[in-house]
Amino acid sequence: MSAKPASFRPTMPETIAGVALLLVAVAPIVFDVGNYALGLLVSSLVLAGLGLSWALLGNLGGMVSFGHAAFFGVGAYASALVSARLGLPVVVAVPLGGLVASLSAITMLPTLRLSGPYFALAILAYAQIFRILATEAASITGGAGGLQRYPSLPTILGLDLSSRTGSYLLVLSVVAVFAGVYVAIRRSHVGIALRAIAESEVATRVVGVDSLRLKAWMLLLSAFMAGVFGALNAHVIGFLEPDYAFGGSWSMMPIIAAVFGGYRTVLGPICGAVAIYLFDQLVAKSLIPVGHEILLGVVLAVMVLIAPNGIAGFVGGLLDRPKGGRPHVAT
Amino acid sequence: MLRLDAVSVRFGGLSALTDVSFAVPAGEILGLVGPNGAGKTTLFNTISGLVRPRGRIAFDGRDVTGEPLHRRARLGIGRTFQIPQPMHRLTVRENLLVAQVFGAGAHEPERIDEILAVMEIGHKADADAATSLALQELKRLEIAKALAVRPKVLLLDEVLAGLESRAKHLFMLKLRELHALFGLTIVIVEHDIETISNLCSRAVVLDFGRLIADGTPDEVFRDPNVVKSYTGGTH
Repeated sequence: MSAKPASFRPTMPETIAGVALLLVAVAPIVFDVGNYALGLLVSSLVLAGLGLSWALLGNLGGMVSFGHAAFFGVGAYASALVSARLGLPVVVAVPLGGLVASLSAITMLPTLRLSGPYFALAILAYAQIFRILATEAASITGGAGGLQRYPSLPTILGLDLSSRTGSYLLVLSVVAVFAGVYVAIRRSHVGIALRAIAESEVATRVVGVDSLRLKAWMLLLSAFMAGVFGALNAHVIGFLEPDYAFGGSWSMMPIIAAVFGGYRTVLGPICGAVAIYLFDQLVAKSLIPVGHEILLGVVLAVMVLIAPNGIAGFVGGLLDRPKGGRPHVAT
Repeated sequence: MLRLDAVSVRFGGLSALTDVSFAVPAGEILGLVGPNGAGKTTLFNTISGLVRPRGRIAFDGRDVTGEPLHRRARLGIGRTFQIPQPMHRLTVRENLLVAQVFGAGAHEPERIDEILAVMEIGHKADADAATSLALQELKRLEIAKALAVRPKVLLLDEVLAGLESRAKHLFMLKLRELHALFGLTIVIVEHDIETISNLCSRAVVLDFGRLIADGTPDEVFRDPNVVKSYTGGTH
């Protein structure tokens, strides 16, 4: 088995897209959009990271998760607890939160023998178990009352990461790093095999691919990513309770974001999350203050009907059309 | 090279294979014959590791009965499926790359080119496997993938099915070429008696999951049990 990359040299369109994205990413700082807007962007980027971790699992291995809230919540609680109770620095606690989320995913490894809806439902069940554990283990987690007294993000090299600007730059950087990791895996031989496993698992096993092992690694990595974003979010918002940290929206929103943006691409889930979150907060909430999520359902349904491959697939298709080339499936 | 001892498979109350025993020496082209439902594909599934049997399967002197599918492929058991199973989201070349890297443990682009050329699908190398290939090209891709694993034994499940006689003859010559070029041992499932007679030095016949004949093609096709199984006589 080899993880040797197929090719890491970016093409010209990829380079242009990268520079454009960088400019878009720093624009809110350069143009000083204000604390409220930056706060919304931080939350949307947390969702983007979670969407990326969900899409990684779905795209590389074909595993559809209905339970990413479990990893998000475990990461959040683990980071908050080790920083508050053990006094570990937040910069150590956050990756540790991701690691604990990965460890929690080990208990889910038996579900990898399931496929399709059975896997999805099994993961959903696991997520409920972790929410109940967080509620019942009150002596550790604070129970239903939650946790409030734990450190916020620190100041590093003079940059206060707990400020809106600092949080934005930190979460944006972590999203970028994980997107880079995702791209590297996708382009490696392992990534090519994982893309094949998603739709043709027997065909890969019969040529020597240990599909269970590769899927297990992707589950652990996806859990780590989700756990890190759960941890970052916990330190950004400063409070945790089981119904929030393990809430169903942390399972559903990344799915909506990834499908809306195009889950088979790397940029799709990120763009989808930012678009969906800002639409929800700025448009849907103003139109329907209570039950505004219904508009997300409408938007997603329309999107699936007119562009089943999401924004990325739609835009890619438009770009490819004049040349008559291969349909755009990856960014 | 390959030895089966008292291999049996049951699916619930149905005996798919019952005490099947035979050996395949290195370098042989063996025909696996039998009416529909005789257990030929189940036998391939059992040898390749998709189905766990009772009994014993030895490959290259090693008991592989408990080995999973992917490990048997790495040991050198390659196979094709009756209905081609390409890796749908990959190009033809990527299909072979995955087979080579994970099955043979090395990435040798030149060998991939060689296999693509031999299987005459080089012109489709960078095309999507699932959407751009006709059925016969998909069958060639099936064999190409199996070859990329560097198999010692190649199990071919009805690769000649659906071909008209001229195309079947040419494909048969191709199989002979592969046999010589890659030093393969081949087990082929095929219904056509003439093809088996021309291609194989030996044939085994299954009926209702039991091995009912084993010998040269001439011998087995004259065997009264084989004639009876093909003419619908009760077993």
